[in-house]
Amino acid sequence: MGIEYKLNRLDTSGVGPLVDRHWRELREAKEKGQKIAWSSGPLFIYAYATPNMASHFMAGYAAYCGGRGMADEVLEAAERYGELRDTCSYHRLHTGMMAIIRKGWPISDERVVLPIPDLLIAGRFCTEMSHYMEGIHRRFGIRAVTIELPVCRKNEDRPRVEKYVTAQVKDILIPAIEEVSGSKFNEENMREIFRKWKETCIIRNKCWEFLKRKPALWTMWDYGVSIAPIFYAMGKPESHEYYVNLLAQLEERAAKNIPAVHPDGEKYRLYWDGWLPWAFLGKFIRMMGPHGAIPVTGRYPWEFFPHPEDINPEADDIVHEWIRLLYTSPNALAYHDGPWGGEEHVEKLLQDYSVDGMLFFSSKTCRLWNLGQQEIIANIERKYGIPGVVIDGDMIDSTMVSEDQIRTRIEALLETIDARRR
Amino acid sequence: MEEIMKQFVEYPSDPYTSIAKWKENHKKKVIGVFPMWIPEEIIHAAGMLPVVMWRSNEAITWGYKHVPPYNCPINKSVVDDVVKGKLKFMDGMVFLRQCLQSQEVPFIVENNRPPAFEEYLYLPPIYHGDKASKDFTRDEFEKLRKRLEEFGGEEITDEKLNESINIYNKNRSLLRKLYDLRKQKPGILRGRDVLRIVWSSMLMPKEEHNKLLESLLSELEKNGYEPTKGKKVFLSGCLCIHPQLELLDMIEDLGMVIVDDDIYVGYRYFANDAEITDDPIGALMERHFIKTPVDPARGEIEVNWGKELVGKVKKLHADGIITLLTKYCPPHLCYYPDIKVELADAGIPEVLIEVEHEIISLEGIKTRLQSFKEMIGGF
Ligand code: SF4
Ligand code: SF4
Repeated sequence: MGIEYKLNRLDTSGVGPLVDRHWRELREAKEKGQKIAWSSGPLFIYAYATPNMASHFMAGYAAYCGGRGMADEVLEAAERYGELRDTCSYHRLHTGMMAIIRKGWPISDERVVLPIPDLLIAGRFCTEMSHYMEGIHRRFGIRAVTIELPVCRKNEDRPRVEKYVTAQVKDILIPAIEEVSGSKFNEENMREIFRKWKETCIIRNKCWEFLKRKPALWTMWDYGVSIAPIFYAMGKPESHEYYVNLLAQLEERAAKNIPAVHPDGEKYRLYWDGWLPWAFLGKFIRMMGPHGAIPVTGRYPWEFFPHPEDINPEADDIVHEWIRLLYTSPNALAYHDGPWGGEEHVEKLLQDYSVDGMLFFSSKTCRLWNLGQQEIIANIERKYGIPGVVIDGDMIDSTMVSEDQIRTRIEALLETIDARRR
Repeated sequence: MEEIMKQFVEYPSDPYTSIAKWKENHKKKVIGVFPMWIPEEIIHAAGMLPVVMWRSNEAITWGYKHVPPYNCPINKSVVDDVVKGKLKFMDGMVFLRQCLQSQEVPFIVENNRPPAFEEYLYLPPIYHGDKASKDFTRDEFEKLRKRLEEFGGEEITDEKLNESINIYNKNRSLLRKLYDLRKQKPGILRGRDVLRIVWSSMLMPKEEHNKLLESLLSELEKNGYEPTKGKKVFLSGCLCIHPQLELLDMIEDLGMVIVDDDIYVGYRYFANDAEITDDPIGALMERHFIKTPVDPARGEIEVNWGKELVGKVKKLHADGIITLLTKYCPPHLCYYPDIKVELADAGIPEVLIEVEHEIISLEGIKTRLQSFKEMIGGF
C-alpha cells in the first residue's frame, strides 16, 4: 500500500477579513468623497500614496472575484455586454463588472461590485492591461492614463527603458493623479509605505526559508493566498501582523517537526509558472496533494519584492525608486516576466528550492507567460534534467479549465520524475 | 494588363522562392520585419531588402511544439516557418513590441534558428504623444540605424534615408491612387488582385513595385469600366496577416464588391507617409505617432475606430462592413465590442468573420456572409 499523503495547511484565515476590509474601504472612500483609481500593472503605488485617492489593483480584483466564486457570473455579464471569449479574462471581468453597474443587472454577491472609478491607470506592462482601460474609457468616459512599461528583452536594455518609464511617470502619471485627486502626490507617504513594506517583506522572506527546507513546512498555495496582505495592505499594520503570525506558526512547526505534507513530508517538490488559478486553487491542490506533490516556488508569486533589502525608502528620488525596482534592481519584475529574464529567474528558483519538476500554467486568454514556456521547459530539461509540463487553463474562467486534462498532465509529470529517480 | 498582374502575383504566390531567387540574383541582404510598425525605410537605406513577414502557405506543424494553439496566426506562422528552416534565406529579422505576443516571438526564434542579424524595437503606443515616448521612439530608430550600419558595413546617411523615404512615399501614393480608383470604379479589380498587389509591395523591392504600379494604373485608366451592381462593402481589421484569397472570392461571388478597407495588407500598410526633412529619423518617428487609421494595438484613445468606420462607410455610400478579426488578436478582440455598438447605433450592417492561419470552415463563413448579404439587401 502506498503512503496516504495529506496536507497540513497553515492557518491563512486572516487573509479573508483583510481583503474584505480593503474592498469595503474602497467603497467607503467613494462615499466620503475621495477619488478612486483603478490600476492595472505595478503603477498603482502612485495613486496609493496620494492623499484623497483610494486605489484598486485590478489583478487583485480578479483574485478576489475568483476567490468569492463569483467570476463566472461576472464573466457572463461581460459576454452579455458583447465581450468576446478569446479576450483576456481579467479584461472581461472588469468590463463585466462595469456592465453590471451600468445596466443595473442583479448579482448574487454585491461585494464584487466596486465603485465607479475617477481615474484609470494602465501600466502597459502587458498590452492588454491598456486595452481594458481603453474599453472602459470609451464606454464610460472615465479618464485613462496609460504608461508604457515594456518587459525587457535583454539585460542591457533595462537602464534605458527604466529612464523612459520614469519620465512618463513624472510627466504624465503624477500630474494626472494630482489633477483628479485634487491633492499633491505625497513623497513622504510613499517613503512610509516603503519603510513598512520592507519590514513586512523581510519577515515574509524568513517564511520562505521554510519552503526551501526539505521537507517543506508549508506550500506555495498557502503563500499564494498570503500575497493579498502584501499587495492590498501594502505598508499597513495589518499586513505586518499577518506575516508575524505566519512566521510564528512556521517556527512552531519547525520546533515540533510538522511538515507541510503528512505523514513525513512531500514526495515531489514542484515549481509553478504563471498566474495562480485563483478560482480553482482548491481544485488544483487536490490533484497534487494526494500524490505527495506540492508547489514550493513559482515565478509570479516570487515577484513581490523578493529582495526587500533592495528597497530604499530614503532614496533621493523616491518616484524613480519604484521604477528602479521594476527594471534595474537584481530582481527586476519587468525583466523576469519576459521569457529571457524569466528563464534565468526560473533556474535560480529551481536551485534555491530544490525542485523535482515544473508545472507551467498557461492561460488560454493571457499571453504574458505562455509564448516562451515551452522553450523554457526544453532549455531547463536539457540543462538540469528537471522535467516540466504545460497545463492549459484560465485563472478564473471555468469554461476554459478541463479537470481531466490537468489531472493527466500532473500525473504524467509525476511519472516522469519517478522514472528519472529509478 | 495580364502580364503586369502576373508579375504582381509572382511574389505572393511563393514568397519563399521568389525572395530567395531575388537575393541570389542581386547579392543583397534580406531582412524580415515583423508586422506592423517597423520603418522599413531604414533597412532600405542600408542597401538591404526589407520584407514583411507573412502568414505561411502551409499548415502549422512543428510550430505547435513552441507556441500554444491559442496564439495569433502570425506568431504561430512565423515560428513554424522559422523552426522548419523556411526563412533561412533571411539574413536578419527585426521584431518589435506592439502587443504581448509579438514581443515574445524573438525568444523562440533565438532559441531555435537565430538569424545573423536580429534587432528588437520597443515601439511605444501613442496615447499621450508625450515627449518621453517620442524621444524613446527616436532612439529606437537610431539604434536600428546603427546596428544596420554595423551589420552592412555602410553608413546610413540622412541623404540615403531621405532617398528611401522618397521611394516608399511614392509607393504609398501609387497604392493610394489605386485605392482611389477602386472607390470610384468599384469592381475594377478583383479583391484577390488588390490584395496581391499590396502584399507584393511588402515582399519585393519598392523600386520594381513602383514601376509595375505605374504601368498598372495607366492600363486601368485606359481600359473601359463596366459599373458593377454588387453591394458595396468595406473590409475592416485583419491585423498583421493577409486574409485568404478564397474568402475575398467568396465575398464577391456572393454579389458584393469591396470598395475600400483598413486591413493591414491593405490601406493600413500605405496610409501614412513620412515627411522629407533634414531630420529623416525624426520624420519616421513623427509618422509613428499619426493617429489614423486607428490602430487598436497603438492605443489611440482620442480617436475612435468605430466612429472612423462610420465616417468612411457614409462617405463611400457603402452598404455594410465585413470585419475580419485575426483570431486570438487581443488588440482587435478588445476593441470589437465597441465598434459593433458604434456601427449598430449608426445603422450600419456588419458581420464578423474570424481569420485564422488556415480557413477552418469555408461553409460556416459562407453561411454568415450569405445572411449578411441578405441583410444589406439582395439575394
Ligand atoms: S493578458 Fe494576462 S497579463 Fe495581460 S491583463 Fe490579461 S491577465 Fe493580465
Ligand atoms: S495579430 Fe494582433 S496579437 Fe498578433 S501580432 Fe498582430 S497585433 Fe499582435
